[in-house]
This record gives sequence, structure tokens and C-alpha cells, in this order.
Amino acid sequence: MICDRPRYPPNVTAAASSDADLISAHAAGDPYAFSELVKRHRDRMWAVALRTLRDPEEAADALQEAFISAFRAASSFRAESQVTTWLHRIVVNACLDRMRRRQTRPTVPLPEAGPGEPVAPRDAMSDRETSLMVQQALMELPEEQRAPIVLVDVEGYSVAETAQLLGIAEGTVKSRCARGRAKLAKVLGHLRNRIADANVPADGVNVQEQRQWEGR
Amino acid sequence: MTGMERVPMGPPWSLDLIADLHAGVLPPEVAAQLRPRVEADAEAREVLQALDATLEDLQALPPIPMPDDVAARIDAALAAEARPAAPVVSLDEARKRRNRRLGLGGGVLVAAAAAFGVVLAVSPGGKQADTPGDAAPAPTSNSNVSAPLSVRGDNLGAAVGDVLKAQNYGPLETQDRLAGCLQGGGIASTSKPLGISPINLDGKDAVMAILPAGVVGQFRLVVLDPKTCGPDKPEGVLADTTIKPR
Repeated sequence: MICDRPRYPPNVTAAASSDADLISAHAAGDPYAFSELVKRHRDRMWAVALRTLRDPEEAADALQEAFISAFRAASSFRAESQVTTWLHRIVVNACLDRMRRRQTRPTVPLPEAGPGEPVAPRDAMSDRETSLMVQQALMELPEEQRAPIVLVDVEGYSVAETAQLLGIAEGTVKSRCARGRAKLAKVLGHLRNRIADANVPADGVNVQEQRQWEGR
Repeated sequence: MTGMERVPMGPPWSLDLIADLHAGVLPPEVAAQLRPRVEADAEAREVLQALDATLEDLQALPPIPMPDDVAARIDAALAAEARPAAPVVSLDEARKRRNRRLGLGGGVLVAAAAAFGVVLAVSPGGKQADTPGDAAPAPTSNSNVSAPLSVRGDNLGAAVGDVLKAQNYGPLETQDRLAGCLQGGGIASTSKPLGISPINLDGKDAVMAILPAGVVGQFRLVVLDPKTCGPDKPEGVLADTTIKPR
């Protein structure tokens, strides 16, 4: 008697399977393996997409595109890189593509406050309020600064990984993070007015010099 | 040239320069010279502390869980992708029986299908639209002004991915109107569809909606005729089928 045998281990989508196991199972035809992989990582991917793109509809579209693209490419995945890094790269690329396509977008206005003035007394705010304020300030950053800040400072990726994900030099990642953090420090009220307002380029540090450092 | 000669070694330093030092942008030899001087200056030290506090704020941002409706939509898209040749569950037998009782020949979809789509019996004149071929998806968009997605009745499934990305009620205009049309087909739906878009179904204006099927991993694909659908008008439901893994 010939029995139909599944082409994939029947329990491969169990919680104990590694990401690499799930990719292998997906390549072998397990119809549930890829969905399981997505379920494991979707919250983190959603946070990246939402914080990068700022618009929930766009974030959802970008993620859907990214996951479908990853689904189709998964059979050619090679184990040289971590599954999460690979998946994250696809998501980040989908977000960057959308950012490039739209170029400009109206920004969410911040509450009325001078540069360097705290929007509210920090010690009087709850954690939730602080998070909202930080999130809002993050939305105010130019896209080229926001993406590296989200990846490095919020999501905890290394500068090298972020450079790889964004396709830019490590020095550029550091430089954009530096600019973004300086702006956030002002908006979040960590800097006194006098210091924040004194933010003028240092004599002799020109753009060419800056680019030279960024390339490192 | 290291750039050292271009960096001021005494205060006041710009915020950008201190932020560069803080982020490791400066060449190591420049940073090594500059850091002790910056740390010895009270005002510059305040800037470093402000940058540290900013980093702490960013690192403390809470995770953002994916909303259920987005998760369901992505699950549906992946289910569609996973089942390129999966048979689709037939129309609900009860509704078919009821429709037969009502004598609804025209416009009723009989799902039997391949390619994650369905074979439609779009039969206003009793003629079965069974021409093989792929859907011819037009560029899709959430915009109300774009041309509707062109879909062939023998391959409805080809449109699922695009419809899942849209929340465009088209001629139905509102979720309430959609609910009324669904009610006409005996479909109870109180939640927002996972995706909805006007389509051009074999030359006829229609609206495709994808709904949760109430079972994990399954989704309901409904095609409505916006001109005729409504409460107590089952003839306005052109297609109703369930998408599920094989």
C-alpha cells in the first residue's frame, strides 16, 4: 500500500522550530511554515515600518509587499545570514522604496514650543506620555535620519548591520544618527536653550571634511 | 589630512560637533584629542548628557504590536500566496440551495476553482464565463480615481493580493452600505473588511471584499454588484467563496 507522505516534517511549524527550520520547511512545501515565521517577527517589523513610514496604511502596504516578496524569495535563502536579518532587510527595503517614491510628505506638527524648551515638564509626565512625545519627535526627523535612528537606537541594530540594511556607509549611519539625536535632544528638551541655539557649524569643519569622515 | 587641524580644540563647540563625537563619527585620533577637552567643559558635558538622555528615551520606546486587522490582512495575503493552485471551498451549500430556491441564475457565482480563484458562472444570459486565462490585473491603488482592477471571472484569486492592499469602497462608498449588501447575501459582517476595492469583472463594474472567515487561516472573498446589492437583495452577491489552505 502506498501512502501519501508529506514532503515536510509534520511538526515543523511547532513553536520549538528555529527560523532556519521554518525557511527550510517552507522551501519543502509546508504551507504554514512561512506564516509561522512572519508571526514570530511581525511585531518588530511592524514597529520598524510604522516608525519609518509614519503612516499605518503605508506601513501595512509595505509589510504586505515585503512579506510576499520574502515568501517568493525564501526558497533561495542561504544560511550565510540570519533569517531575521534577511527578513528585516526586505522589510526595510520595502519601506525605503516607499519613502523614495513619495519624496516629501507633510509632517505631523509638534506642539508649540521653542527650540530647546521642554514641551512639558519631564518629571511630571508619565512613561506613556514620554513615549508619545519621543515618538512624535521621531516623526519630525527627516527620513534620512529617522531610518538609521529607528534601526540603531530603537531597534538595537549595530551600525554595521544598519549600514548593510540601508545600503549606506557605516560613517554615514553614524553621522545621520548624530544629526538626528542632536535634533531630538533639542525637541525633547534635554538641552538648555542657550546650548541648543548655539548650534552653528564649527569654524573650519566644512561639508567636504564631514563627507570624508562619513565614508569611514 | 586627519581633519584634526580643522576641529576646534577649545570651547565653544557646536552641538553638531559634540554629537559627532558622541556618535563616533570623528576619526579616532581626532576624537581621542577632543574627548577629554569636551568632558572637561561643563557646558559641553551637558550636551553629552543630553545626547545620552535622548538615547535612553529612544531605547525605552515600547514595542508596537501589529494591529489585528493588519495581521489578518497579511495572513490572508500569505494564504493566497501559499495556495496558488489550491482548490477553493465551494460556495456555502446552504446559500446555493437558497439561491436555487429563489431562482437566482444570473449573477450567482459558482465557486469551484483553481488558482486560488474561482470559476465564475457569470450568467446574466445563462452563458458561462469559463474562458481559461489569467486575470489581467490593472495597476491597483487605494485611490478612488484610479481605474478599477480588471479581473476575469475565471481567475478571481489573481486579484486577492491587490484587493488586500486597498480600503476603497468605490461605488459602495461606506462600510454601512457594504454591510447592507453583505446582509443581502446572508453574510453577517460587522468589522471592516481586510481589503476592499472596485473591480471590473469581465467588463462589469463590481466590488470585491475580503473578509475574515471566522476560522484561523481562512478568508471570505465576496464580489458584489454595486448597482443591485442591498439588504434583501441576494442577487447583488456575484461571488462568495472561502479561501483556505489545502
